[in-house]
Amino acid sequence: MEGVAMKLPSFKSLAPTAISVASTFSIRRSFSVARRSSSLSATITADSEPVSLGHRARKDFRILHQEVNGSKLVYLDSAATSQKPASVLEALQNYYEFYNSNVHRGIHYLSAKATDEFELARKKVARFINASDSREIVFTRNATEAINLVAYSWGLSNLKPGDEVILTVAEHHSCIVPWQIVSQKTGAVLKFVTLNEDEVPDIDMLREMISEKTKLVAVHHVSNVLASSLPIEEIVVWAHDVGAKVLVDACQSVPHMVVDVQKLNADFLVASSHKMCGPTGIGFLYGKSDLLLAMPPFLGGGEMISDVFLDHSTYAEPPSRFEAGTPAIGEAIALGAACDYLSDIGMPKIHEYEVELAKYLYEKLASVPDVRIYGPRPSESVQRAALCSFNVEGLHPTDLATFLDQQHGVAIRSGHHCAQPLHRYLGVNASARASLYFYNTKEDVDSFIFALADTVSFFNSFK
Amino acid sequence: MAASMSSSCCLSSLRLIPFKRTFFSSVNRPSKNLIFRPIPSFLRTIVTFQKIPTVIVPPLSASSSSPSSSVDLQPIEELPPKLQEIVKLFQSVQEPKAKYEQLLFYGKNLKPLDSRFKTRENKVEGCVSQVWVRAFFDEERNVVYEADSDSVLTKGLAALLVNGLSGRPVTEILRVTPDFAVLLGLQQSLTPSRNNGFLNMLKLMQKKALSLEVKAEEGSSESTTDEASVVEVVVLDSEPPSVVEVEDTESVSKIVALGSRGMRIREKLEKELTPDELEVEDVSYQHAGHAAVRGSAGDDGETHFNVRVVSDAFQGKSLVKRHRMVYDLLQEELQSGLHALSIAAKTPAEV
Repeated sequence: MEGVAMKLPSFKSLAPTAISVASTFSIRRSFSVARRSSSLSATITADSEPVSLGHRARKDFRILHQEVNGSKLVYLDSAATSQKPASVLEALQNYYEFYNSNVHRGIHYLSAKATDEFELARKKVARFINASDSREIVFTRNATEAINLVAYSWGLSNLKPGDEVILTVAEHHSCIVPWQIVSQKTGAVLKFVTLNEDEVPDIDMLREMISEKTKLVAVHHVSNVLASSLPIEEIVVWAHDVGAKVLVDACQSVPHMVVDVQKLNADFLVASSHKMCGPTGIGFLYGKSDLLLAMPPFLGGGEMISDVFLDHSTYAEPPSRFEAGTPAIGEAIALGAACDYLSDIGMPKIHEYEVELAKYLYEKLASVPDVRIYGPRPSESVQRAALCSFNVEGLHPTDLATFLDQQHGVAIRSGHHCAQPLHRYLGVNASARASLYFYNTKEDVDSFIFALADTVSFFNSFK
Repeated sequence: MAASMSSSCCLSSLRLIPFKRTFFSSVNRPSKNLIFRPIPSFLRTIVTFQKIPTVIVPPLSASSSSPSSSVDLQPIEELPPKLQEIVKLFQSVQEPKAKYEQLLFYGKNLKPLDSRFKTRENKVEGCVSQVWVRAFFDEERNVVYEADSDSVLTKGLAALLVNGLSGRPVTEILRVTPDFAVLLGLQQSLTPSRNNGFLNMLKLMQKKALSLEVKAEEGSSESTTDEASVVEVVVLDSEPPSVVEVEDTESVSKIVALGSRGMRIREKLEKELTPDELEVEDVSYQHAGHAAVRGSAGDDGETHFNVRVVSDAFQGKSLVKRHRMVYDLLQEELQSGLHALSIAAKTPAEV
């Protein structure tokens, strides 16, 4: 007997309709119009209790319906990577099954089709973040690569000795290390904004740090450890006042809320597909057209050239200029499908649900004795992301995570979450982190808290 | 400032296989074919996923008694005696939770490690938690380990290794492969990735044992690193390494009269290798301060020698083999207080 809880055909609820032209080849679930119009409001079940977004969404994620180590899987590690709905997997499969072909190069039918879908995916991403032109979207391998692209391409040609790059101590390594490398090469100086007493980056300090010498401010939108967000719009205004550019690491924001690059007016913005229900191996850089046009290539090779001679070459226009070699075509298309899926639910809806979940998670976790949660307290003015990095007094996060996994099937992360400077600043070696996404439910949080209490008492009994 | 945080990060993966879901009957017998995999019970409609160690057969092998599994684990008899005991203990404990408790118990009883030994060289790479291991020789040239960790589970693992390997000679320690981890039923992933704390702990302990041996062999100074000197270090993976040698080609000739041991060494080598050239030099004076030297009695301190042999017997043999030949010939001496030999072994053609 097959050990699979849910079979594929029943995934109807939230699969998006086929938006793309490729509907001939699409085997996406067809979607009833009636359901679609009401899918966003709470559906009333027989016992007239509204079914949350989490409950409805779960059906699209087969991977969530399994047991690990003898317990039901409770996946609380979406900040590390998100799960993918059936429609995204289908899009990827479809591509390979029906029209896999190299893009931009061929004349024949399949390659034209692949190219169309690939470029359509680019448009979808552009639309998702409200970029004014799809040519402002450069596909990369992930956000890390996108930041490196800016560092090597824009950074090396624009930073001079004495120029300043402003970061925060809470940045992800991918938004620290490339700048370290580039500042070593150019003689630019890195400055770090520290945290205030609410355990968020000190905005006043940031403002004061911005000076004539500042050429770039590279900051996160939402912190993957502190769950706090930065006021990007304001930061951009301050930076532009002195002629500095702003790069926004939106890895933890794009998947969870409406991100409008025109409204933010950021110069660069990066995100990874795998955190927003898309496959791994693809991410993107958003850059303002005039900036990208002025930037030299990052990687050299096919695709990014115009003419190639033996002794020199001329380069293509952006975004092609920054997309050397054959791209992750299927992945890009699947990312487009992820954008569709999320848009169908509606990012505002997702965000609203997650704000609620975030509050629930925080409250429940904070009520466990000896737990120390990092980042700001949620309040009227402060909204946390749906994640909590925390430590339990006297218990190493590794032990915690191991036991939670082994005895309860609860998947959280333990470590420094690619934010060693932040942990050093907070005075800890590592922390545990539970992170939620719209397919999690309050029951997941309850299971987690129960398991946590059990874990703590187990280890305490050994002291 | 960077010291404590500069350890590379990752999870020391520790998995317990829920024994209650297996159908294996051979749990208590210490044998080679201990591949514990939970079988999806037909009573449930749930798929269980297990992390698969790379050396073990795929998870859905239905039979427990497949002695000729595609990969043979290192026989338990090759393990140091204490470690064998520990393995048997863990095998007899079925409940995963109980295994944890056992681990935690070991950890609790682990002798604390003085903080001055919590150095970079003693740190295990690839652990999110901090783990330090220290190794030193006792009087009998067995390796003694001490360890510590800020994570109780990792400390338990470290304690397990310390208990199992401490007090044993280098060769025995080096012979241990990570296979036994499977026998423990702790489901340690055996892929030698950066993230594997347990594997890295074992590796570090073996590396330290090795370098203790090397340092002891070397004699006086730190090993010279000019092109002429060759240090063969065999990195442990699945095979037990051969002996590590240091060849010191700077032959400093000091005329020191040979004592009885020195004479015996000469005789032996003369007899068995019929060398064209033979130099035996007693450099024990250079080690007079060693704790190990102080401990050995009745040899008038004849503990460290430089030996240079030129012989046809080395023809066609690798460096390691040559050194091994010499060691083998001097086994008796090595057992009775000879601590270190620095060997230069050449064929006449190479001189």
